[in-house]
Amino acid sequence: MTDESTPTWEDVAHRYGRKIYNFAYRLTGNPDDAADLVQETLLRVRKGLSSYQPGSFEGWLWRITRNAFLDGIRRKKRRPESALPEGDHHSLGSSPSPDEVLSSIRLSDDVQSALLKLPYEFREAVVLCDVVGLSYDEIAEATDVPVGTVRSRIHRGRKLLRGMLTWPI
Amino acid sequence: MADLIFDPEEHGELFSAYLDGQLTPSEVAIVCELLDGSEEAIEEFRYLRSTRRALRLLPEFEVPAALLPDGHLGDRLSAYLDGELVSLEHRRVTKHLVDCADCRAELQELDRARIAVRSLPGVETTMTGEIPATPVPRRRRRIIAGAIGASAAAALLVGLAVGGGDEPVFVLDDLNARHVARASAEPGFAFLPSTIEVAAP
Repeated sequence: MTDESTPTWEDVAHRYGRKIYNFAYRLTGNPDDAADLVQETLLRVRKGLSSYQPGSFEGWLWRITRNAFLDGIRRKKRRPESALPEGDHHSLGSSPSPDEVLSSIRLSDDVQSALLKLPYEFREAVVLCDVVGLSYDEIAEATDVPVGTVRSRIHRGRKLLRGMLTWPI
Repeated sequence: MADLIFDPEEHGELFSAYLDGQLTPSEVAIVCELLDGSEEAIEEFRYLRSTRRALRLLPEFEVPAALLPDGHLGDRLSAYLDGELVSLEHRRVTKHLVDCADCRAELQELDRARIAVRSLPGVETTMTGEIPATPVPRRRRRIIAGAIGASAAAALLVGLAVGGGDEPVFVLDDLNARHVARASAEPGFAFLPSTIEVAAP
């Protein structure tokens, strides 16, 4: 029976699909990988909802998302012809590009490029915090590490990023 | 606290967590103390704040619509008809039905199918759970409520007191076991009343 704390997978798709897509996009810089992750995650959510135990839904969902992402990376490593690309893929998105946002797009390109150079654990923590908007507790649950480790990874990730970014404060 | 000296390696992490609102009150007090006492701390704080802001200002992309379900109610319609949705979900479904002619039409079709299944002749049960070959005439039955699928029926154990006083208690599990066996063999035989029908005296 449906429980108030257990949404249907359609609800999950509509409520979190965009966040999952952006999570993967920022981790890979690649719209195709982001689309793959949304599909794979929703498939796993659909299978997993029947056995979901009411609790931290966000932690559960992002653990599934992260595992789906890492499984995808492992598959790609076995098939290296489709290595994760770096750089600008914004032109493939649906965003308009009026003159007034050009500078912010260049800025976001810089940030995206810097993100892709971070060690994975730092990149993941920073993206879950600053792009997805999870709390440290939720990130700890999703990534299966202590909150103190999350705090350290986010800080070190930001420090490394700032060192790579060339624009003025 | 007056002796607290800023060390970027030791205290920078506190600044990051402070910006994220993830510190305890005592840790916030340390951050305030550090910011009061050191230009270097203030510079580090601004440095981290600007990095965090740049990350949070990254444009958000729309997920391609083809990746998401079409937004219609799907299997929730049947659960809605059967009264199996709790209040929050029920309200969501009702709200969607008000706006969506497709789902309203599908709901009507499902309801017709549901009524057709529930209108099938029932079977008379004896005190021992035996099922006679002759169906009970429709007018003799008085309670029909709920329908469940065969898989859910496997877990069903319903006791029903027939009448009151010293009349015997009817236990449905024997009938249920037979139903499950039949449902396994005949895919079409997949429904069982969740409240047993009682022949009128």
